[in-house]
Amino acid sequence: MAGAFAFKGCQKIRGAQIRVLLEAKEFFLFDCDGVIWHGENAITGAAKVVNALIRRGKNVVFVTNNSTRPRENYVNKFTRLGFTDVMLDQIFSSSYCSALYLRDVVKVRGQVFVIGCEGLRTELLEAGIPCVEEEEDDPDATIYNCALAPDVKAVLVGHDDKLTFLKLAKASCYLRDPECLFLATDNDPWHPLSGGRILPGSGSLTAALEVASGRKATVIGKPSRFMFECISSQFSGVDPAQCLMVGDRLETDMLFGSNCGLDTMLTLTGVSQIEEAQEYRSSDLTTNHSYVPDYVVDTIADFLPAFEEIEEQND
Amino acid sequence: MSGSQCARLGGPLVRQLLDSVDSVLFDCDGVIWRGDQAIPGAARVISLLKQRGKRVVFVTNNSTKTRRMYADKLSSLGFHAAEDDVFGTAFCCAAYLRSECGLRGKVYLVGSDAMRQELEALGIQAVGVGPDPVSGKQLDWASVPLDPEVQAVVVGFDEHFSYMKLNRAMQYLTQKDCLFVGTNRDTRLPLEGGKAVPGTGCLLQAVETAAQRQAQTVGKPSRFMFECVARRFGLRPERCLMVGDRLDTDILLGSACGLKTLLTLTGVSTAAEAAAHRDSGSAERRAMVPDYYVESIADLLPALQGEDEPPL
Repeated sequence: MAGAFAFKGCQKIRGAQIRVLLEAKEFFLFDCDGVIWHGENAITGAAKVVNALIRRGKNVVFVTNNSTRPRENYVNKFTRLGFTDVMLDQIFSSSYCSALYLRDVVKVRGQVFVIGCEGLRTELLEAGIPCVEEEEDDPDATIYNCALAPDVKAVLVGHDDKLTFLKLAKASCYLRDPECLFLATDNDPWHPLSGGRILPGSGSLTAALEVASGRKATVIGKPSRFMFECISSQFSGVDPAQCLMVGDRLETDMLFGSNCGLDTMLTLTGVSQIEEAQEYRSSDLTTNHSYVPDYVVDTIADFLPAFEEIEEQND
Repeated sequence: MSGSQCARLGGPLVRQLLDSVDSVLFDCDGVIWRGDQAIPGAARVISLLKQRGKRVVFVTNNSTKTRRMYADKLSSLGFHAAEDDVFGTAFCCAAYLRSECGLRGKVYLVGSDAMRQELEALGIQAVGVGPDPVSGKQLDWASVPLDPEVQAVVVGFDEHFSYMKLNRAMQYLTQKDCLFVGTNRDTRLPLEGGKAVPGTGCLLQAVETAAQRQAQTVGKPSRFMFECVARRFGLRPERCLMVGDRLDTDILLGSACGLKTLLTLTGVSTAAEAAAHRDSGSAERRAMVPDYYVESIADLLPALQGEDEPPL
């Protein structure tokens, strides 16, 4: 098991303790929303932290359940917000990993019916995966009599602000074939936006389709292990003991870290509060201990003094 | 009832059962009709039951029609029923909000125009019905203006279901004192010829997941459906027979309310499923076992048409 005994977790660390951790780990996995930025605003100090880690030769990757943008958009956003040197191959989104799953694990032959936005389709098409064309508003199409595409071998559900009943109906028809796969980019019930606002997440759409089809979706994103397997594959093998997963959401990021055998750090600039982590820690259910972070910081900017110390030591 | 055995109903048992009840509650889809086709013999069964002095009531989880629309459909298929004899979830939801929740204001409705009409008939104004696609940006959606007079989110079957509706419902539900009511959890809406579309249960699950809250449902197997009928007609549960095709809604409602239960095999559930529940060790599952089953309600005809002697 990663870190100390799980029930001892939730350790608030600063200064020298962070320095020790930074020196011990080679791979830093960061969630984005609520960790690196809030919407279009970088967390104060986040760019400095990331740039410093990269300059010190650490491997830094970004692991996000957000399936709405292609990875190129993320590269642009990083640049816009002052993060230098973040490359495409450091970005792992649930949409990119869904494409990898279909291409490399399933080796899908046939079309994929996508409930999701342009960003998801773009990643699939870039990976050479044929998607069923999005229907135009066909005046003859009703929920009772929709035309189905032939040879649909998978249904993939992600965040879709253009969700309609018709899409749900079509998807549940395709899922009647037990050979047709049922995949979800992630199961986050809601997504946070800046200012404490929220929007319905992919998890709510996936839940609707699970009820309609009577089947459970295979979830690609955190907390499932698959995104870590993508990372490990791309970097020719990553030792979990060398990793630190930094996130803001207990049920997604911390559980992901736990599932992959990584040390975990909760930053308090996002969704989860420390009290929630403490509740999980004192729970009688040992499964709840997987939500408990090993370490806690108020913000990743808390890493900065540790870098200065390292620099002083090196002088 | 934990003692229910799912016995085949035939011979003298039919007469015995019918003599032991004053009222018969029928589910509609899969029991008296399938889509737009009446089950052969069903209309005659209902007519004879009424002739024998039984009260006949229709109880359906379908929320897409008003009582008036149901009465019209029943007539068009050869069943004759008054509006008053039909209980759909559109009506029962409105009744629930009014009598159990004391609601007098507005609701945000994810549902049909029929639901809106039933709500308005009881003085509850519903907003949100009809198509509602997204426009603008994500931040706009997260800050949609909320009508301060809305006191509840109500979810029924809605062919115009969209992300925006899901979003609005979720935003209202972040307010702790906003009520949350759903018509039913059926996973499929049955159609002609065995086809089906996703049911209200799917839409309700989407809203519940986004809002991280559970709705109170009104339709079968919730007891409220029976209470709605019982209050209207002063029924005694032990003198009622529930006839349905679904073990997890119709029969479970019957068990929960102390009614006699009859499964018909012209719809969703099978005799094998009922037997499996009966033979399981679970009290929860045994509540889904009907007292009796028939292949079709037309199987009641011989007993109804036969002897002319009065009951003992």
